[in-house]
Amino acid sequence: MNKRRPNPKQVPDPTEPMWRSTLRVAMPLNLSYIPIGLACGILLHAAGFNTFLTGLVSLLVFSGGGQFLIATMLTINSPLLSIVLMLFFLELRYALLSSSLSPYLKGQSNRFLFIFAVSLNDENYAINYLKFATDKKWTVREALAVEHYSLLFWATSNVIGSLIGSALKIDLSVVHFALTSLFLYMIVMQLKSHLTVLICLVSAVLAAFFMIVTKSTLGLVIATIVASLIGFGLEELLQKKMPNSHWLRRMHSPGSKKSAVEHSDAN
Amino acid sequence: MNAVNNWNSTQHFWLIILGFVVAFVPRFVPLMLFTKRAIPEWFNEWMKFVPVSLFTALVVKDIFIDISSYGLVLTNYPLMIAAVIVIYIAYRTRSMAVSVIVGLAGVFLLSMFL
Repeated sequence: MNKRRPNPKQVPDPTEPMWRSTLRVAMPLNLSYIPIGLACGILLHAAGFNTFLTGLVSLLVFSGGGQFLIATMLTINSPLLSIVLMLFFLELRYALLSSSLSPYLKGQSNRFLFIFAVSLNDENYAINYLKFATDKKWTVREALAVEHYSLLFWATSNVIGSLIGSALKIDLSVVHFALTSLFLYMIVMQLKSHLTVLICLVSAVLAAFFMIVTKSTLGLVIATIVASLIGFGLEELLQKKMPNSHWLRRMHSPGSKKSAVEHSDAN
Repeated sequence: MNAVNNWNSTQHFWLIILGFVVAFVPRFVPLMLFTKRAIPEWFNEWMKFVPVSLFTALVVKDIFIDISSYGLVLTNYPLMIAAVIVIYIAYRTRSMAVSVIVGLAGVFLLSMFL
């Protein structure tokens, strides 16, 4: 039942072809993309995207949060520049993910890095980071195969969602909560210390304040920059002045794959 | 969510191309730079707080901000309750799919009864 987490201790069958062993690793993620991809396709259809463009955006942007954001901002008639700017800030987090994968991709050609970066995404990152950190035999080709499987399932679910959206009448305010849930999930996965919880609260207050003041979603960008800088500054300060502060203490999280990654880092 | 967007497919196409550029640059540039030289420590330390700040801001927008007037709304009870349920489910299960499906079902049922 519990197949969500890839088991790094599993002994690989040497006769198994690569396409099958990587598919086995990617499958839990592929399946979880189906409901979110369907919801995203329905919303993109409602925002006016045709089925072909829905497929194209899934292949080129390949970001659940990003595509939901495009759909939502289109339905409230935001200008192009503001959508692209918001998207940029949303996608900026990938800078962190790709930096942390870079030690495992040393010596690859720029062409390979290009192809790898195009299909990188939060979830296949989590799988590949865990595999690289725990499985010495995990190769960059296998990592790329996992990315491509997840891309295939994501794009297909989006296209099917777009077709469902054109066939059925669906309450969009409910479907839109899929994005809110996705963000809430990603927040919970990021909560590692009491300080991050504090920064969440700071960001929440700042976001409401700056959105009301600026009367635009630009408030989100300002709140994000200010809150992340406060977090960065506070952490530096605490590490210098009070290294044993409970704000820096690692939080307990049941069955976290992220913590498994950190433990293997420490070894 | 009732407003109908009046962009045509050409405009959507250019949005996708620009979207690709802003999605691709943050994924590719660090990968290209840091496979060749070391990551500056401060950059990592700062970037660590970006996702959590941004996601929180976006959730606040979805639940507490009326997007047509940019006013504060504190009465979205179905969304507020569903959000608490999603946080709990995400914390217990660590599963993206379960969290999203429970969130959708929760908001659907709660908005029928509240």
